[in-house]
Amino acid sequence: MKQKEESVELSRRQFIKTTIAASTSFLIAGSLPSLVKKAFSETPVEEKIDDVLKRHFGNRKIETAHVDLKAPIIAENGAVVPITVVSDLPMEKDNYVKKIYIYSEGNLQPYVASAELSPANGKAELALRIKMRKTSNVRAVLETNTGKLYQGLKSVKVTIGGCGG
Amino acid sequence: MAEVGKIRIKLPQSIKKGEVIPVRALIIHPMETGLRKDKDGKPIPAYYINDVKVYYGDELITSMEWTIAVSADPFMTFYVKADKAAPLKIVYKDNKGGIFEESVQINPQ
Amino acid sequence: MSRGTLSRLIMFLLIACVISVIAPQNSVAEEIKEYTPNVSPEEYEKRYNKAFGEFTKKMAEEGNPADMLLDEGKELFHKVDGTQGRSCASCHGQNGEKLKGAATTYPKYDPGLKGIKTFAMQINICREKHMGAKPLKYDSPEQLALEIYTKSLSNGMPINVSIDGPARPFYEAGKKFYYTRMGQWNFSCALCHIKYAGHMLRVNLLSVNRNHADHWPSYRLEWAGTGSLQKRIQGCVKNMRAKTSELHSEEYRNVELYLTHQSNGLPIQVPGLRM
Repeated sequence: MKQKEESVELSRRQFIKTTIAASTSFLIAGSLPSLVKKAFSETPVEEKIDDVLKRHFGNRKIETAHVDLKAPIIAENGAVVPITVVSDLPMEKDNYVKKIYIYSEGNLQPYVASAELSPANGKAELALRIKMRKTSNVRAVLETNTGKLYQGLKSVKVTIGGCGG
Repeated sequence: MAEVGKIRIKLPQSIKKGEVIPVRALIIHPMETGLRKDKDGKPIPAYYINDVKVYYGDELITSMEWTIAVSADPFMTFYVKADKAAPLKIVYKDNKGGIFEESVQINPQ
Repeated sequence: MSRGTLSRLIMFLLIACVISVIAPQNSVAEEIKEYTPNVSPEEYEKRYNKAFGEFTKKMAEEGNPADMLLDEGKELFHKVDGTQGRSCASCHGQNGEKLKGAATTYPKYDPGLKGIKTFAMQINICREKHMGAKPLKYDSPEQLALEIYTKSLSNGMPINVSIDGPARPFYEAGKKFYYTRMGQWNFSCALCHIKYAGHMLRVNLLSVNRNHADHWPSYRLEWAGTGSLQKRIQGCVKNMRAKTSELHSEEYRNVELYLTHQSNGLPIQVPGLRM
């Protein structure tokens, strides 16, 4: 009798211990990705351009028009690629470009920068020097105050230099 | 090389009232991505400007978000409709809480 | 002649032959078989613009981070430093007016050094001798700032270094170094920058060395910072997988004289901005 009770008690203790241990480790395991993500929060998540665009614009239609992207055909140094976003879209009080998004599609994280503009800018034009990881398109998406989306792309060659550096 | 946070803003020589002028701004900043390692293999922490705001007088006219993919010693050109005599101020903020600002006076003739 | 004398004579002749063969040549007097540049500077410009356009040039005009050092240099020039209570301006005038054109003749032979003196070295000599100030570490921000500012006073003026008289052997030594095969790949400076200039090396277009010395110190995108021609020479030697020397070492000073002579006649344009 006693032995049987003992074994039941032990196994109950064991069961509780195991359950607590198991659930704790599940909790930790569940939160690990976010802990890891937090630790690497400075590092961008690797994303494909289509996913970034979906994240920024959902399923909205982006028209390839009204945006001219100026960039070198071959970047002399991929760490500093001078690009200029030029658009003929108006910048008037009720009709203006409210945001410019810039992407370097070959980067691990294609999103490079964005700029919220206002009619006070007078022109929807922005020049920036950006880092490009490899040969790919540079893309600029412009959003008007009425929610219309326009884009322009330019392909830039970026490869490893010779002895330049 | 030069001090981090040093800013230089260039305006055109002559500005007519109502003219849309280019503003060129350069700031010294390493824009460290956080993805590089030093020669001992230790990761160099990310250190980059992530927020840029432009004020014309009291009005916030442009607000930018930058990532690590903006080049070191960042340079940009944007435009301003010079319709009033007022200071143009650019405020840069980085991920370590650094704040750098510089003003130039726009005096349309 | 006795047999003994004959054998001694033959021995003597043999030894004399061996000595004359293995004795080190007077390297400075040796003629280097020079290459003909594969492209003219104009043709190189054409190929460069076709490949890369004017984007880097435009970056230099619109916003050169090295311009910040130019401003800092102007401040340092007018700042009192050292035990004698002087600034550079105390002797060289406000805004360095007495130094206009000074940079066009550097590097030059210095009798005290019995070798080639670079502009950066002269700044340190001035500081120590006439200001009682500490010499600045080569390629430190302050040293570059001061060099950029003082050199910029000669912007637009043609480079005019002398390779005559006492400078000649050092110029020849610099040229010889330029042609010397070195490193793991057995490259020489002249191979890429004279013989094969104008060709593509991966994505770099090999430049002909006409313009190599006219824009230093320069910001380099590769460095994400500013450096001197000395640093560039050292970097090139490292890229060739050859053993490097210290900045302003004798061999690098000689090469700087050779390179600057190649740029004679071209206007100084400081600070530069390059890939």
